[in-house]
Amino acid sequence: MLNSQEWGVLALSVRVGICCVLLSLPPAVLLGWLLARIEFRGKLLLDGICHLPLVLPPVVTGYLLLTVFSRSGLLGGFVEGVLGLRLAFDWKGAVLASAVVGFPLMLRAVRLAIEGVDPRLERAARTLGAGPLRAFGTVTLRLASPGLLVGSLLAFARSLGEFGATIAFVSNIPGETQTLPLAIFAFLSQPGGEAGVARLAAISVILSLIALVASEAVARRMRRR
Amino acid sequence: MLSIRVTKSLSDFTLDVAVDCPYPVTAVFGPSGAGKTTLLNLVAGLLRPDRGEIRIDGECLFSTEEKIDLPPERRRIGYVFQDDLLFPHLTVMHNLRYGYGLLSPGQRRFNVAQVVDLLELQPLLDRRPGRLSGGERQRVALGRAILTSPRLLLMDEPLASLDQGLKDRIIPYLRHIRSDLRIPMLYVSHSVAEILGLTGQVIVLKRGHVVASGDFFNVAHLPDVLPLVEAHGFENVLPVDLLSNDADRGVSRVRHRGQELLAPYCARPPGRRIFIGIRANDIILCRNRPEGLSIRNALKGRIMEIANVGGKHLVYVDVGKRLAVEVTPEAVEALALKAGDFILCLIKTHSIRIGPDVE
Repeated sequence: MLNSQEWGVLALSVRVGICCVLLSLPPAVLLGWLLARIEFRGKLLLDGICHLPLVLPPVVTGYLLLTVFSRSGLLGGFVEGVLGLRLAFDWKGAVLASAVVGFPLMLRAVRLAIEGVDPRLERAARTLGAGPLRAFGTVTLRLASPGLLVGSLLAFARSLGEFGATIAFVSNIPGETQTLPLAIFAFLSQPGGEAGVARLAAISVILSLIALVASEAVARRMRRR
Repeated sequence: MLSIRVTKSLSDFTLDVAVDCPYPVTAVFGPSGAGKTTLLNLVAGLLRPDRGEIRIDGECLFSTEEKIDLPPERRRIGYVFQDDLLFPHLTVMHNLRYGYGLLSPGQRRFNVAQVVDLLELQPLLDRRPGRLSGGERQRVALGRAILTSPRLLLMDEPLASLDQGLKDRIIPYLRHIRSDLRIPMLYVSHSVAEILGLTGQVIVLKRGHVVASGDFFNVAHLPDVLPLVEAHGFENVLPVDLLSNDADRGVSRVRHRGQELLAPYCARPPGRRIFIGIRANDIILCRNRPEGLSIRNALKGRIMEIANVGGKHLVYVDVGKRLAVEVTPEAVEALALKAGDFILCLIKTHSIRIGPDVE
């Protein structure tokens, strides 16, 4: 059905999608909690910054990532020198690009889920002897977990479709950064690539549909409870 | 013993409390918005006082002077909230074990089976809180708090959301906790009946200040307290002379200003002067002495005033002391009640609550 190059594209896309979820989940929980539970100055601004990638042209996001994380960028030297991570023109950069672009979707779901948990339950847990972290983990996070799942599925689906930021930040390197949309884009400009385009497009539709249906199913179960 | 000396400024008044609670159960009584829940939250460590000191059995929980502020999880104080706040994602059993599991075995004074037994939770253990009735939920919340082996139990109107029938069924459990498990309690309630079911010791709070504290029957007549008592339970408090006891029949004969009443048995020597409590809605008004009625007690008095207090129709009758009687507007019309009329107040023996001695 798929040739080995196409399988490679699919595997890379899924890997990038999963890593993107894993990368964005912890900050989404932290920021979601902050936005849901704490009143502070500049909350609106923080909220705006977090949602910026939702409305910014993805190409601009990719360009900004490039200026910050390229080898000559603001943090690129630090990330490569100290952490030993090369991001630009690397699949890990593709993860970062899709994480940034998908973050608002993830954050929104997590924040709503945390807001939906009665904060007094955590206080009850405290009076029962749980420290603040344990109370958060065993009560709030546990009750918000369907929301975390919804956010993860949305971010995964968004990552599968990520094109602009990825191509601007890490370019279109087969086997390294060429995810599904990028491969489709490359095949489109190749003579005789139509069959590949059709197969990959079909895969895209199916994968995205599965992720969306799954997230909607979880969200429904959440509403029913 | 719990001793509290704290101030905390709130949005519309300042809570400023200095009390000691030496009794096993102390009730905190007062109108809505008096700061009762705030007081409990300060003791539990869920709110921070502006300044002051909270000690329990000599150990300091909070002190601005000594710069001590133990977090709630280290205070070893149980809290039963007005809304039970059970964890909806856990079964009853896991709710019960939540705090219990966080204790080291040496800290555990009660075991799960004992508490399940005491509160009759066995049939509920596998259920989620969403599938419990209000009374069941409150019992589970109670069990969950007890299993943390607290040295003090804070109760914030734990029965407020239940109907009277359920309340009557839960109060005996609370008595068990008080008498058998010997856990001291700070018990917030609006309801005089509920408080008297557990203790005679009250702290009366009004706009953040303690306006009275001590024995309920001693403070109930104070001008700051009486309106509250009448608004939330219409408890009538009368000083009476104890004339004789009949343990076999379970009754005692008492006298109030020359009129005799049959009260529930009171195991104190005759000749004592004691307080009795009667709820306003346990009294029946009657123009003529009835025949063929099981009620033996009839206090004669003159109607002083017919008033509407907080939606309830009250007839105040002078029987030597002012007695509040709750009636329906229809009854006022049907009996053509008006101030100055002589009237009989019928009271069932077992509606009378025996209070402490008159000092």
